[in-house]
Amino acid sequence: MPCLKHPDPALLRAFTDCAFHTRRLCLELITQAGWGHLGGSFSAAELLACLYGGILTIDPRAPGDPLRDRFILSKAHASPALYATLALRGFFPIERLFTYCRLDGLDGHTQRGQCPGIEYSGGSLGTGLSYAAGTALALRLEENFGSRVVCLLGDGECNEGQIWEAAMSAAHHRLDNLIAVIDYNKVMAKGKTSDLMSVAPLRDKFAAFGWTVLACDGHDLAEICLAFHRAKYLEMNGRPVVIIAHTVKGRGLPAAEFNYHWHTHAPTPAQAEGFLADLNRTYGRAEKFSRALVAPTDGGLEAVITADLAL
Amino acid sequence: MKLSYSKIPLREIFGETLVELGAAHPRLLVLDADLNTSSRTVLFKQRYPDRFVQCGIAEANLFGLAAGLAAQGFTVFPSTFAAFATRKALDQVYVNIAYPQLDVKIAGSYCGMTATECGPSHNCAEDLAVMRSLPHVKVCDPGDNHELRAMMHAMMVTPGPVYFRVAKVNAPELFGADHKFEFGRGHLLREGRDVALVGTGFMTAIALGAAELLDREGISAAVAHLPSIKPIDEQLIGKLARETGALLTIENHRIHGGLGGAVAEVTARDYPVHVEAMGLGDTVFEAAPLQDLLRHYELTPCAMAARARALVQRKRRASAA
Repeated sequence: MPCLKHPDPALLRAFTDCAFHTRRLCLELITQAGWGHLGGSFSAAELLACLYGGILTIDPRAPGDPLRDRFILSKAHASPALYATLALRGFFPIERLFTYCRLDGLDGHTQRGQCPGIEYSGGSLGTGLSYAAGTALALRLEENFGSRVVCLLGDGECNEGQIWEAAMSAAHHRLDNLIAVIDYNKVMAKGKTSDLMSVAPLRDKFAAFGWTVLACDGHDLAEICLAFHRAKYLEMNGRPVVIIAHTVKGRGLPAAEFNYHWHTHAPTPAQAEGFLADLNRTYGRAEKFSRALVAPTDGGLEAVITADLAL
Repeated sequence: MKLSYSKIPLREIFGETLVELGAAHPRLLVLDADLNTSSRTVLFKQRYPDRFVQCGIAEANLFGLAAGLAAQGFTVFPSTFAAFATRKALDQVYVNIAYPQLDVKIAGSYCGMTATECGPSHNCAEDLAVMRSLPHVKVCDPGDNHELRAMMHAMMVTPGPVYFRVAKVNAPELFGADHKFEFGRGHLLREGRDVALVGTGFMTAIALGAAELLDREGISAAVAHLPSIKPIDEQLIGKLARETGALLTIENHRIHGGLGGAVAEVTARDYPVHVEAMGLGDTVFEAAPLQDLLRHYELTPCAMAARARALVQRKRRASAA
């Protein structure tokens, strides 16, 4: 396991690469599918890169190892980022990513068991923390004291009452093998979290529910590592841990940053080319897409009926 | 034939069978939402406190925890009242349990009108319809104590989600201790030519009573019991349809989407015969003792015999015309 307290610069460079290519692949997938959640995928790119780069004890060659850490993506609409990170880490071939949102392909929201590394069927917000608490309890009952359960939540998702039911129960059952991470990107589907339904102060709320609360800049790799160093190794004190990761929705694209328009919205292939140029500028790179992007066509109801009647 | 009624409430058998299964299956867990002395999961709690998880009055979280536990290889029995399992936590049951086909066996206590005095908020005439519409979920309503026990043993060796009802009732004694339960299999309790009375849960006892009343006036009524509503015994329904040409269902549930709906889906496709459903109409089960509810909603042997009589006349008029 890499040292999280003083991570090797080479490791941080690998995380940076992973986060960049996750964003690039998200652009490709979402453009090709004509649908997807760009803003919430981009805000989580560094968190996922660090988690799968070394924070989680998990082996792509043995994704079902009972001694692995479990990762639960409660904000399952960030599935493009998770799929891309998993593929980049070798859980399945990159090519499979391009089945995203196709029949028999990867679902728009994650489905448990659909591909290696996906632990949880989600999409209905607010349900993942309960599932993660159940998983953490199961590890206890199995006498597995090594594995951790990490659950990535959105901030808007904390509007859901079930999050607080789960928070109450995790503290009650003293699940200090559970680490919730809040991708606190400050924006929901249709506006700012602070305008639509404030979740602040998250620190005080979780503390009042009996959790240990940590915070970090969710785009700063060393800070993320340090927060997990504390959560995984120092804070096993009978309380579940939440890391409030301050992030930027749409991080890396000036047009999408803190802009709810890019919560659920697919760029056109031409827009995607412009976005890749923006990403290259932001991160000082000169990467290209892996293929020529084509927007999908859906003739819908009319296409089906017209085709049948033309027989 | 005179029916007898168990002195042991059905829910006691639920608790006892959990204990029995718990002894044989160390990976069985029971989850509760602050109702264990009502549902009788308290019996499991007393015997296996380490495998009993109290989740508090938080049903959404109850089913999320159940899903997370099942995903790690446990067989999980989350238990609450039917109303909360199906009306309150439907989204969690669908997204986290049914969709990934996890091994969660959901017990709906106080189903149908058997929350009695609790009234419409707790009575639940929707659970069969709701759960039957979910993918991958098996749905059943046991007729008596032996059947509930056999059903729970069967679900332990059948992976995947199951919803089963545990009515708050002293059930009729329909079967012996050697009774076998299979998903998708019904039981013909009485042969008949003129009409088939089809019941599920304890309501099959009403059908048996009605058949006896009809027999006194020379109408020959078959009686079938369908404890497994999904999958349903299509062969038995076909046999009844062919042999009687008129089916009358009865259930502790509304007439929409439950047993009556499931039977009609089969007959409409394969055996277009007369089918009518008895249960709750487009209203609620009010607060009252069970005997008063059964009479008020006309779910009695006399009421069923009257409906059957009219149905037989309708069938005869149609075939004469």
